[in-house]
Amino acid sequence: MTNHFIDMVNADVVMIMGSNTAENHPIATKWITRTKERGALILNVDPRFTRTSTFADVYCKIRSGTDIAFVNGMINYALQNDFIQREYVVNYTNAPCIIREDFAYTDGLFSGYDPAKRSYDKTTWAYELDGAGLPRRDETLQHPRCVYQLMKTFFARYDPDTVCRITGSPKDDYEKICRHYTSTWAPDRVGTWLYAMGTTQHTHGTQNIRSYSVLQTLLGNVGLAGGGINALRGESNVQGSTDMGLLFHILTGYLGSPTVPDQTLADYLERLVPKTKDPKSANWWGNYPKYITSLTKAWWGQYGTPENGFGFDYLPKAAGNCSHIALFEAMYDGKIKGLMLFGQNPAVGGPNSNKERAALDKLEWMVAVDLFETDTSVFWKRPGVNPADIKTEVFLLPACSSVEKEGSISSSGRWVQWRYAASHPIGESRSDLWILDALAKSLKKAYAAGGAFPDPIVKLNWDYGSGPEVDLHTEPDAHRVAREINGYFLADKVVNEKSFKKGDQVPSFAFLQDDGSTACGCWIYCGSYAGPEKKDNKMARRDKTDAPNKIGLFPNWAWCWPVNRRIIYNRASCDPSGRPWDPKRWVVRWNAETKKWEGDVPDGPWPPEEKHPFIMRPDGYAALFAPALAEGPFPEHYEPLESPLRNFMSSQQINPAIKLWHKDKPDMNPVGDASEFPIVGTTYRVSEHWQAGAMTRNVPWLCELVPDVFVEVGPALAKIKGIKNGDRVIVKSARGRMEAYALVTNRFQRFHCGDQIVHQIGIVWHFGYAGLATGDSANLLTAHIGDANTMIPEYKAFLCDIERKEVVPA
Amino acid sequence: MKAMLIDTTRCVGCRGCQVACKQWNGLPAEETVFFGGPGYQNPRDLSGKTWTLITYNEAQVGDHYDWVYGKLQCMHCQEPACAASCPTSAMEKLPEGPVVYHPNQCLGCRYCMLACPFQVIRFDWFSANPYVSKCTMCADRVLSGQEPACVKACPTDALVFGDREVLIAEAHHRIEDNPRKYVHHVFGEHEVGGTCVLHLSTVPFELLGYRSDLPEKSLRRWTEPAMKPIPYIVVALSLALGGVAWIVNRRDKRLVEKWTKQVKEMQ
Repeated sequence: MTNHFIDMVNADVVMIMGSNTAENHPIATKWITRTKERGALILNVDPRFTRTSTFADVYCKIRSGTDIAFVNGMINYALQNDFIQREYVVNYTNAPCIIREDFAYTDGLFSGYDPAKRSYDKTTWAYELDGAGLPRRDETLQHPRCVYQLMKTFFARYDPDTVCRITGSPKDDYEKICRHYTSTWAPDRVGTWLYAMGTTQHTHGTQNIRSYSVLQTLLGNVGLAGGGINALRGESNVQGSTDMGLLFHILTGYLGSPTVPDQTLADYLERLVPKTKDPKSANWWGNYPKYITSLTKAWWGQYGTPENGFGFDYLPKAAGNCSHIALFEAMYDGKIKGLMLFGQNPAVGGPNSNKERAALDKLEWMVAVDLFETDTSVFWKRPGVNPADIKTEVFLLPACSSVEKEGSISSSGRWVQWRYAASHPIGESRSDLWILDALAKSLKKAYAAGGAFPDPIVKLNWDYGSGPEVDLHTEPDAHRVAREINGYFLADKVVNEKSFKKGDQVPSFAFLQDDGSTACGCWIYCGSYAGPEKKDNKMARRDKTDAPNKIGLFPNWAWCWPVNRRIIYNRASCDPSGRPWDPKRWVVRWNAETKKWEGDVPDGPWPPEEKHPFIMRPDGYAALFAPALAEGPFPEHYEPLESPLRNFMSSQQINPAIKLWHKDKPDMNPVGDASEFPIVGTTYRVSEHWQAGAMTRNVPWLCELVPDVFVEVGPALAKIKGIKNGDRVIVKSARGRMEAYALVTNRFQRFHCGDQIVHQIGIVWHFGYAGLATGDSANLLTAHIGDANTMIPEYKAFLCDIERKEVVPA
Repeated sequence: MKAMLIDTTRCVGCRGCQVACKQWNGLPAEETVFFGGPGYQNPRDLSGKTWTLITYNEAQVGDHYDWVYGKLQCMHCQEPACAASCPTSAMEKLPEGPVVYHPNQCLGCRYCMLACPFQVIRFDWFSANPYVSKCTMCADRVLSGQEPACVKACPTDALVFGDREVLIAEAHHRIEDNPRKYVHHVFGEHEVGGTCVLHLSTVPFELLGYRSDLPEKSLRRWTEPAMKPIPYIVVALSLALGGVAWIVNRRDKRLVEKWTKQVKEMQ
């Protein structure tokens, strides 16, 4: 989130698209209902009328997988009617920047496409530079090749008729959404945009979010109170897990994972450190060398020397893509011997479950760390297999739950809150920290005897207060971990005219060094634990006093990364002279007398005109035109991998930059077509169950509420298929079949896409064969196909068919 | 007197209240299949194990489709008919608001079930030693200054707890502030003499499963005259039936003696 949960109360319009906030983030809903009572409008776009739709002022249905068409249409509406915050756009975005002459777009493809590699050479997706190496700009926005004019032409193709033909949305509802949302272009009106996995889990998931960001930026809604791009993360601490580098492509603090070409620290920095010649660009990522050096120093301490890149040489260098689908494909091919799972249940949660379960059969060993026996940990006795045929050795380690251990949790709003253990762990269950600590100590002991490359393990800096031996009754100290994450000085040092002693905690990331004199486990958390005592733990703060601007920042409640800044890009909430666009809910403002910013922690201390506000961008401008993503600088609509319709926008049916697993690895990766599977399927969660179900399908009270897997079917389709509410039905895709109860409901309506009618059904995906409440997994139907940038699987749109299961009377 | 205000326009149907109720009161889960009612409703109805239940109701509101939630539970009447109908005072209205149940005083006559105008009291049919049961407004919590468990769990403040007068004023404020949103009626303000559970809704209350034909006056005026003579009737009936039993038993005893004698004679 650029903003945070409480900030939703500041919005005039709340757009909820690709998120079922009420069901999956019920607590967040509190702030939305509050802002609604203040008079704000709530808009909701979803294939199905959900518990979120019930409190929306306008609900508009949309066929799964067509967000880009919908939002590009909204962008077109804003551009054609000039509903844009022009001063913001001219000063803070790259709309005036002129793009190279050889950049082109034709029939669904941008310039530089290589069909054999299914990827782009992005050379032409760049600014035209002036003599000083700065982007050429036309602040009148008239130049035919400025980003603004390119956008006007590009997005004009998304007229309301075309959009509604693609999305199947009723034109009335669609136009209402366009009108209400773009009303927030006015400087004193703000709209917030909430999304979740309904947006991301597509082959064009990242571009879905791009389209939201482009619109939010045009309307001048980023950086303001009640605005921003706000991802409601799928789990309570998933923000923390990505901050801490749990994804394959990043280390902690969003530093890139080294790859094979990064043989030295210099190679790595050359690839990743952005450069700018604009003195007004803060180019914050220019500090990359300080952050990566401090990270490797935290991990290897004295063994990180200038000769080995301060420990960089010890980091593994990834060869190729190591995302979930790629790992399970490799496992299926027998290339992976062992698997460790911490609170993960891929037999239910992974796409194409039949293939992923078959992949597990090929493992030599598996360790599952969980609260309950999960479907994955008992994959060897799943229905339809003979346990004697499976040779995998499986270990189930009992983990304790979140309330049984101390530590921090990071919310979607980047607030890091310290929690104390509320009770003792049950039985011999242990915290993840204890298990990891024991594992590390055992590995260090094993490698001390020698190995292929023992140094990174043997020399690993590992001391969390539990002694050198594995002891069941000694819990490692979470505070030590937190202090390392914050960072400390490794030598006496004077930085920014302040002197520090060896061992002092680093007060903020502005003090981190690239000469090996500081260690920091995660640079964005620097400042969260800025002293040696427990009282210095800012994550544990519980002060309910609001800041003077009274917009719900609560700056002394917990701690927020970066540097306790509650709304990021907040310099953009002011005009170029530092006056808030909306003085009624100002975030920061420049005090000309004290020569200081007041309010939230500003995005840098410089006076207003001195630096551009989007400090994380190399050029300092919000990117309406962005060459970073794999499939193009503007979001373009493509159909999902499996779709009942051809792409009405171009002859490129699907995202041209996605990896086609069914072509590379055809075994167990079939793709269906609409002649056999004419119905669009999607998957989702309900409030009553959690993810793959291990934590809820073992709780009788929750099983009582939703005891069985069910499929929601609209009345029109139910009539065609002869399905009544409560019937047992079979749902089939090219990859698998499942059985479920049919819930026939008006909340699912068919889509009129031009002259074609498209039916869609929805299936809850929480179920599996382990636990108290069991049922078939919806992911038996989904495919091994991922987004071109992130490889997140396309869970939200696939083709299937449904039929009533004939019950033979006994 | 304390009360609870349920604003269905704030409810998002998450059912945190339903689970919190079972957790606090130690009520077991029911075994369910699919869904027991419209939408995601489960179980089918209130029971000895389920004291509060969220209902999912599909409705046409003006020109658009809507899905509205109701919350069924004991309404904690100001002058509860159940208490008035109870021959042994097993149901008791506390001055703080809750209507509580004392199982050790219960005869098992189930008059309270018949008397309840909201049909929220349930009998444990499957128990060998059955009791009636219903929501207690978490009287144990309320008496120690806390709000009921369901209110505590509600993430959107659809449930709020406080002084009844204050909540009634709050409910009227909400209607005045949003006259187009709400039905202009605070359900429970006057029904059957007033209740300590108050409802606000966007749709007619019948749609949420509440009766619109309830009188404003307390039902005690019906139950009390009927119930007042009951102790006397019970005593008189016991004596009379005891007498009948004595006579019948004596006759039976004599007959048995006579038949035994005859059988012996035949042998």
